Amino acid sequence: MNLPHWHLLLNHVPTVGFGVGVALFLLALAAREQPLQRESLRIIVLAALVSIPVYLTGVSAGRLIEGLEGVSAIRIRIHADAALLAFVVMELTGGVAWLALWQARRFTRARPGTLAAVALLAVASFGLMARAAYIGGLIRHPEVISAEDTAPIETAWLTNASVKSLVLNTTSVWPAAETIHFVGLALSFGIVLVLNLRILGVMKSVAFADLHRLMPWGLMGVGVNLVSGMMFFIAIPEQYDTNVAFQWKMLLFLLTGVNLLYFTSAEDPWTTGAGVDASIGAKAFAASTIALWAGVVFFGRMLPYIGGSF
Amino acid sequence: MMGVLEALEASGISTWVRESRSLFAFPMVLTLHTFGLAVIVGVNAVIDLRLLGFGTHIPLKSLKMLFPIMWGGFIVNALSGSLLLARAATTVGISGVFWTKMVLIALSMWVLMRIKRRVFDDESADARPIPNDARVLAYASILLWAGAITAGRLMAYIGPTRPEALIGLLVK
Repeated sequence: MNLPHWHLLLNHVPTVGFGVGVALFLLALAAREQPLQRESLRIIVLAALVSIPVYLTGVSAGRLIEGLEGVSAIRIRIHADAALLAFVVMELTGGVAWLALWQARRFTRARPGTLAAVALLAVASFGLMARAAYIGGLIRHPEVISAEDTAPIETAWLTNASVKSLVLNTTSVWPAAETIHFVGLALSFGIVLVLNLRILGVMKSVAFADLHRLMPWGLMGVGVNLVSGMMFFIAIPEQYDTNVAFQWKMLLFLLTGVNLLYFTSAEDPWTTGAGVDASIGAKAFAASTIALWAGVVFFGRMLPYIGGSF
Repeated sequence: MMGVLEALEASGISTWVRESRSLFAFPMVLTLHTFGLAVIVGVNAVIDLRLLGFGTHIPLKSLKMLFPIMWGGFIVNALSGSLLLARAATTVGISGVFWTKMVLIALSMWVLMRIKRRVFDDESADARPIPNDARVLAYASILLWAGAITAGRLMAYIGPTRPEALIGLLVK
């Protein structure tokens, strides 16, 4: 499987998979079904996570097929810009959906305002994703092209080219984004370490539920790093996408999403009270979370030295 | 001063870090430095956040156990940082950004020790609200560490021979 293959396979998650999640979420809101609401929020968070490799592999796919016969370079660009906009709103949706899950665990129910925000953002994401997918389909399916499809859609304020030019043409942006990336790394890694060490038995006198309060800060670190990291990627994608260290970093990062959902709302860690030894299952999750994050940091820092694309 | 830096740069281990093509040389030392940074700054951030009112149910007494972990991160970074300095002592040793970073780290550690004495060495800390001066120290801690990280990152972009590049970077 090469990168375009992965793009074709994974791109059904932010469209079809996400659509199912949004439909279930709206249904759960209407029926006031709490368990269904939490499940649908998990689907939305996972879809937002999978959107990351969809976007990354899409950039590679576009570069690799650009020169092929019957492929429209303009349509690739329009698709990539539509996808960028959809991606940004999708990640916001995932972040707010995670917050709703966190609130549901912490206060028994998510706050109505958070749920309303998820509903609005999810519908917007779905629309933008569907639009990006539709334009993407036109790249290799001339049989479905109608007359109006040839008119370019301009979203000039946020395009791959505008991000690229901002990062590469302003001297201070790259070092500033690197600095922010390291601050975000320290914040998220520190919180990951403290929470998971508690589950493993260090600081046993603290109830996990009390440390749970720190999770949004860790997520904020991840969010900041997603933004700064995407700036590097969009600026010089060819430096990253075929680099094996980067691929490992992304794979391990995506796997941390499963651990995140576990520690956000699963029963086992939440009920690990003061002085209580966590369950074996929770400990396994905690050990793997630390290992996965260490892997993300390791491959991130080793990017210039493994793979040799820098 | 320059003589010391030159001797440092010419030393065996310094040459190995600088010239070895092994992933265990410069890349691994740099990666260890990143881990140490994540541990000390990240865990310190947890303490700062607690003092600033997040996770108020976390007993302060229990967070005392984080101090040895932070010291572990500090030691890893003192060692890996020494190697990174030795590797290019004649250029890094005269870099203003490097010395700025050293001062900021020293201040961060001093603030951390002040926090420990003010809050964590006080047996009755959990029974009382967080004192105002401890909150000020927590804010200072966050700002100083962010400054140290910024200076550390800028070392990769600003050569020691061109201190004016910093100004150029800010103005451009």
